Amino acid sequence: MSEPDVIKPEMMKSYIWLQTADGSIQQVEQEVAIFCPFICHEIHAGMGSSKTYPISLPARVNPVTLSLILDYCRFHQVPGRSNKERKSFDEKFIRMDTNRLCELTSAADSLQLKPLVDLTSRALARMIEGKTPEEIRETFHIPDDLTEEEKLEPLKNITDDPRIRLLNRLYARKRKELKEKEKLKNVEVEAEHVDDRSVDELLSFINGENGDSKEVKTAKNKKKNRRRKEQQKNAPPVCANSNTSSSPSNGTKESNGVSSVSRDDRVKGHCLPNISELLKLQDSEDDRFALDDDFDDCDIGDGIDPEIKEQIDREVEDFARRLNSDWPERVQELLSLGQERRPSLYSINGNGCSTKRSNASGLEKHEK
Amino acid sequence: MDTNLVSREDYITDLPESIIETILTKLPLRDAVRTSVLSSKWRYTWTTLTELRFDDDCCISDAHHRALPETGLVKFVNQFLLLHNGPITRFTLSSEYLERCPYVDQWLLFLSRKDVQELSFGLAETEWFKAPSCLFSCKKLIALELVRCELDPPLHFKGFPNLKRLNLQQISIAPDAVETLISSCTLLESLTLSYFEGAKLTVRAPNLTYLMLEGYFKDICLENTPMLVVVSIAMYMAEAYQSSSCNFDKVLGGVPSIQRLTGHSYFAKYMSIGNTLGKIQPTYRQLKIIDLYQVSFDDMTEIMVILRLILSAPNLQTIQIEGSSWSTDPLDLDFWDKECPRDATFAQLKVVKLTQISGLPHEMRFIEFLLGNSPALEVMDVTKNVYETDEDEDMFMEILAFERASDDVEFMFAEDQV
Repeated sequence: MSEPDVIKPEMMKSYIWLQTADGSIQQVEQEVAIFCPFICHEIHAGMGSSKTYPISLPARVNPVTLSLILDYCRFHQVPGRSNKERKSFDEKFIRMDTNRLCELTSAADSLQLKPLVDLTSRALARMIEGKTPEEIRETFHIPDDLTEEEKLEPLKNITDDPRIRLLNRLYARKRKELKEKEKLKNVEVEAEHVDDRSVDELLSFINGENGDSKEVKTAKNKKKNRRRKEQQKNAPPVCANSNTSSSPSNGTKESNGVSSVSRDDRVKGHCLPNISELLKLQDSEDDRFALDDDFDDCDIGDGIDPEIKEQIDREVEDFARRLNSDWPERVQELLSLGQERRPSLYSINGNGCSTKRSNASGLEKHEK
Repeated sequence: MDTNLVSREDYITDLPESIIETILTKLPLRDAVRTSVLSSKWRYTWTTLTELRFDDDCCISDAHHRALPETGLVKFVNQFLLLHNGPITRFTLSSEYLERCPYVDQWLLFLSRKDVQELSFGLAETEWFKAPSCLFSCKKLIALELVRCELDPPLHFKGFPNLKRLNLQQISIAPDAVETLISSCTLLESLTLSYFEGAKLTVRAPNLTYLMLEGYFKDICLENTPMLVVVSIAMYMAEAYQSSSCNFDKVLGGVPSIQRLTGHSYFAKYMSIGNTLGKIQPTYRQLKIIDLYQVSFDDMTEIMVILRLILSAPNLQTIQIEGSSWSTDPLDLDFWDKECPRDATFAQLKVVKLTQISGLPHEMRFIEFLLGNSPALEVMDVTKNVYETDEDEDMFMEILAFERASDDVEFMFAEDQV
C-alpha cells in the first residue's frame, strides 16, 4: 500500500480507505466495503485506494455506525450463506439501543445500503406498532410539544374507535373548560352542559318535524363551530363539542355533524324537576358569555319522551361500562377531574334535553 | 453523542423523510395515522404516505358498535383520503365485509386521478364488484390485482400502457375481452388468471415471462409468448375435448425459453390430445423443472407427453410427477421399447420425485427408464400409495434392482396411507 492510486493485483485482499466526518481514517477489506453502493461508486470513481485519498463518507456515518455497517456487510457479502443464517444474523444484529438503531438507519441510508435500511426500519416500525403515544415518545425521546389544545383537538377520528370518539368529546369539553378558565378566572364554573350527541340527534330528528327549527339550529351550530374551532381543518364527524361535561352519557349512535349547541344557549327544556335551578345558573352565565348572539330561539319542542330518556339511560350505562372496562388511566383522571365540579345530577345542554350525568361514584354505580 | 445526528434528544423525528416514510409504510395504517399525536413534527407525516393498504383491521369492529364493520372501513377510507396529501403509488383494499357501494367507485375515480401505479381490490364474497370505467383510465398502472370483479372494458379502451403484472381472480369477463386486455397491455410480464371460467384462451403477450392459469378452460393457446419462462397451468376440463390440432403444440409450441413448467389436474391429459402435425419439435434448452400432477400412467398418450417433454429438454434438472393411475394391466409394455430411444441421456437430471405411485407396470417402466439414462442423478424420491390390503415392499425392491446410470443416487422411499 505504499503506492498511491494503484491497487496491487497480487495482493490477496485489497483494502479500501474510508474517512468518517470526524476525520478518522480506517482501512477495510474491499470485498466488504463494496457491498455499500455508495462506497462502490466512489471506488469506481478512483477514490479510496490509499490513505491519502480515502473515501469521504457522508456526515451521518460516524465510526461506531460504520463499524456496525461493516459487520453487516462482512456477513452478508459472503455468497454461500443460507436464508436462515442470514435471518438469524439479522435478528441478533438489530439488538441495540434505540438511539443507535436510529443512527444506524440514517447512516445506512446515506450509504444507500437498502437491505440494512429495510431491516432497521422494520425494527423501528415494530417499536411503534401497537404502542400508545406516550410509550412511543418514551422510546424515542420525542418531545411532547403539542399544545394542550392541539392534543385535545380531535384526531380527525380516523379510526372510528368509539373510545377515541369519546376521548375526543371529553377532550373537547376539557378544552372548553380551559378556555373558560382563561377568560373568566373569577367566575366559578358551575353547571356544565352535557355533550350529548345521540340525544342531539334524536332531538333534531324530533325537531325535523318542525322543519324550520332544525335548519335554523344547524346553521347556527355551524357558525358556532366555525368560530370556535378555527384550528380544526375539517368539519369532523365527531366534532369538538363545546360542552363540558365528562359524563359518559352518549350512546353509540353515530352523529352526523350535528353538534350540540353551546352552553350559552338558553335552555328551554322542561323535562325534569331540578332543571330550573340549572336554568337560572345557565342564564346568568349566558349573560356573561354571550358568545353567540344569534342563537336565541332554540325552541325545541316539548321535552323528552320518557322512552327516549330510557334509551339514553341505557346508552349511558352501556357506554360507561365499556368505558371503564378498558379505558386508559388518563381518561379516568379526566373524568374524576371533571366530576368534582358537578353540582347536580342533571344537566342540560342547549337543546334543552337532559341526560343523567354521573359523577365519579355514579360511574361505579353504572358499572354495577 | 453526535449532536449533528439528533436534535436534542429526539432520536427518530429528524431522520430523513424517506426513512420515516419507510418506517410508516411498515406499520398498519391505523398505527401510521396515530403517529400524528406524537409531536408537532409528526402531525402530518402520515398524510404523505404513498403506499396505502386498507383492510378489515383498519377499524376496530366492536361488538357493541351499532354500525356494521364495513361502514367503519368506509368511513376510515373516506376520511383518510380526504386528509391525504400527495400522490398515491400503491393502493390495496381488501375486505371480507365490504360489499360494493358507491364509495368504492368514487375511490377508484380518486385514484385514477392520482396516477396510482399498483392497485389491488378484493371485496366481500357476496356480491361481485362491477369495476367502473374509471378503472380503465388509470394509465399509470403497473400492477393490477382484482378479486371477484366484473370487468367490462369500454370500447375505446386501448389497454394499460404500463401494465406489467396482472392478476385476476374470480373475474367475470367476456372471453374476447380478456384476450384483448392481455394483448393490448404490451408490456405485460406476469399474468395470473385464477378461478377462471372461460372457454378458449389465446394468449398474445410478447413480453410475458410468467404465466399462471387456473380454471375451467376448454382450450389454451399460447400464440405469441416467446419470452415465457415460467408456465403453470391448472386445467379443469369437464370432458375430453377432441382437438383438431395438437394441444401440445398450442401450449408449448412457442415457448423456447421456458424454464419451469407446472401442470395440474387435467393438464397432461389436455396436452395429450391431438397429433403433432409433423412440425419440427422445438428443443427446450432452458427447461429445468417439470412439475406435473395427476398424470395417468394408464394412458399411453399422457406418457407420450411426458416422454416428449423430457426428451426435448436436454438441460432438465428436476422432474416431479404426481401419479394418478389405476390400471394394473400390463398391456402395451413394449411401448417403452418402441418409444424410448436407447441412447437417450438426461445429462443434467439430478432430482426425480414421484408421488402417488402404486407400483403399476407403466410406472415401473418409467422409473426404470429414468434410472437407466440419468448419469448425474442424485435423488430418486418415490412415495407409494399404500392401500389397506397392501403389505409388500416389492415395488421398492424392484426399483433398487433396476440398472442405474448414476452411482450416487440417493433413494428416498416413503409410503402414503391412502
